[in-house]
Amino acid sequence: MLKVVLGIVTSIGGFVEVGSISTSAQAGASFRFRLVWALALATLCLMFLIEMSGRLAAVSKHTLADAVRERFGFNFHVVPLAGEAVLDGLVLTAEMGGVAIALHLLTGIPARWLVVPVALAVWLLLWFGTFGMIENGMGLLGLVTLCFVVAAMKLGLPWREAAGGLVPSVPPDHHASYGFMAVSILGATISPYMLNFYSSGAVEEKWKESDLMTNRITAGIGMGFGSLVSFGVLAAAALTLQPAGIQVDRYEQAALMLPPVFGRWGVPLFAAALAVGCFGAALEIALNLAFAMAQAFGWNWDKNQRPAEDARFSLVYTLAVLVAVVPILAGVDPLRLTLLSMAVTVIVLPIVVLPFLVLMNDEHYVGTHRNGWLGNAVVAFIVVMGFVLALVAVPLEIMGS
Amino acid sequence: MDLVRDLLDKQVRDRRGKRMGKVDGIVLELRKDGPPRVAFVEIGPVTLARRLGPAFGRLMQAIDVGFGVSDGAPLRIPLSKVRDAGIEAAVDLEAEETRAWDWERWLRRHVINRIPGAGSRL
Repeated sequence: MLKVVLGIVTSIGGFVEVGSISTSAQAGASFRFRLVWALALATLCLMFLIEMSGRLAAVSKHTLADAVRERFGFNFHVVPLAGEAVLDGLVLTAEMGGVAIALHLLTGIPARWLVVPVALAVWLLLWFGTFGMIENGMGLLGLVTLCFVVAAMKLGLPWREAAGGLVPSVPPDHHASYGFMAVSILGATISPYMLNFYSSGAVEEKWKESDLMTNRITAGIGMGFGSLVSFGVLAAAALTLQPAGIQVDRYEQAALMLPPVFGRWGVPLFAAALAVGCFGAALEIALNLAFAMAQAFGWNWDKNQRPAEDARFSLVYTLAVLVAVVPILAGVDPLRLTLLSMAVTVIVLPIVVLPFLVLMNDEHYVGTHRNGWLGNAVVAFIVVMGFVLALVAVPLEIMGS
Repeated sequence: MDLVRDLLDKQVRDRRGKRMGKVDGIVLELRKDGPPRVAFVEIGPVTLARRLGPAFGRLMQAIDVGFGVSDGAPLRIPLSKVRDAGIEAAVDLEAEETRAWDWERWLRRHVINRIPGAGSRL
């Protein structure tokens, strides 16, 4: 029971990060509830994928990266590995930028300088902390993000309009940016790093087939709750920013969605939620990169060892944090970087997910716990749809802006 | 046994259960009187890089030698010493003491141990 609760709390923390907050805020501010379908589809896909990666770990005792290298060989594995490394780097930068912006909202100090203490804090926790401490601590703090759901409720959520958003309706103008937002939402929600991270946690905790039920519940309810927060952001933006004609081009504008409900606590609350969400995600992404590399090359990886015991593992996250600071210090806008990384995510997603689907149908790995046709179909459909949408919408958006 | 499916790219653990490396390569022995047989498995970055192409192999070799990490030769383990542990392969060696951990030792000495707190956990 405790395991389930912790799992769910962790998923809320893991779900809410710079990408989901910024894309949901933009979607709500620009298109009210017209993109709820994208969030719903992406959540459904993520639930299936997370359940699968837990099942892979529980039955085959392999993490996703271990299984891909073993099943497809190293020469294939370098492709998704390189894709994930680039993506993790981009997203890590965006997350640390997100924390820096949140601190900027509170202090007024320029975000590009704040990123240095942020990176240092991320690294110190990885260097000195343990896996359980990081996961559970960030998960609990992540509950602050529920403020968006409270805000949406207090603002009088128009249920009928929100439910209507489950059916795509392209607005008469702004086709390209509507498509681009849909891609961004898919990319923000279905983060490839979560798959390997989740399976690594499951292998480390030595999940067995008897844990499959826990896994299913955690994946379903946890991702459901996480997506509820994203929906809260979208709704709060739709109900406050959209009527005021505010488009979210900067985080300062997104922060304006909470003051109508929480008064002068609104902006600090937004900043706290953004900071906690992004900080937790930054820790997970840096760790995941180290997991992915260690599993690809067979190094020892154990988050509870001292850094000196796993030198190669510790070096990967250390370098990742160092490199990720550079773009923000150089003055790249974190919000633009976030949107870029969401689009890149959707393009990289098929090369990560398609081999995963093969594994989930291979008796060698999952025995009798193979995927049903529904799981395969849902995931393949959403990933391919996202990919096609991205190929169409990304160039249009770049030309348009 | 299907070599590529069941042996190549498998995780190898050492005597203490530490992850030692992956089966990066397989060395076959040609025999006059009979089919070739697997003589060794190899663990090492140069062996692995060579699978991507000879140029990658040379590059990795140059990096290994250039940094003074090793002479680029992989760890070779006779197949008879490799135990099939189901999901993974196990060998009766100490990872720390083998070539498979050349980089681990080098990075520990030259990088990680120079950062404060490398030996501690909260």
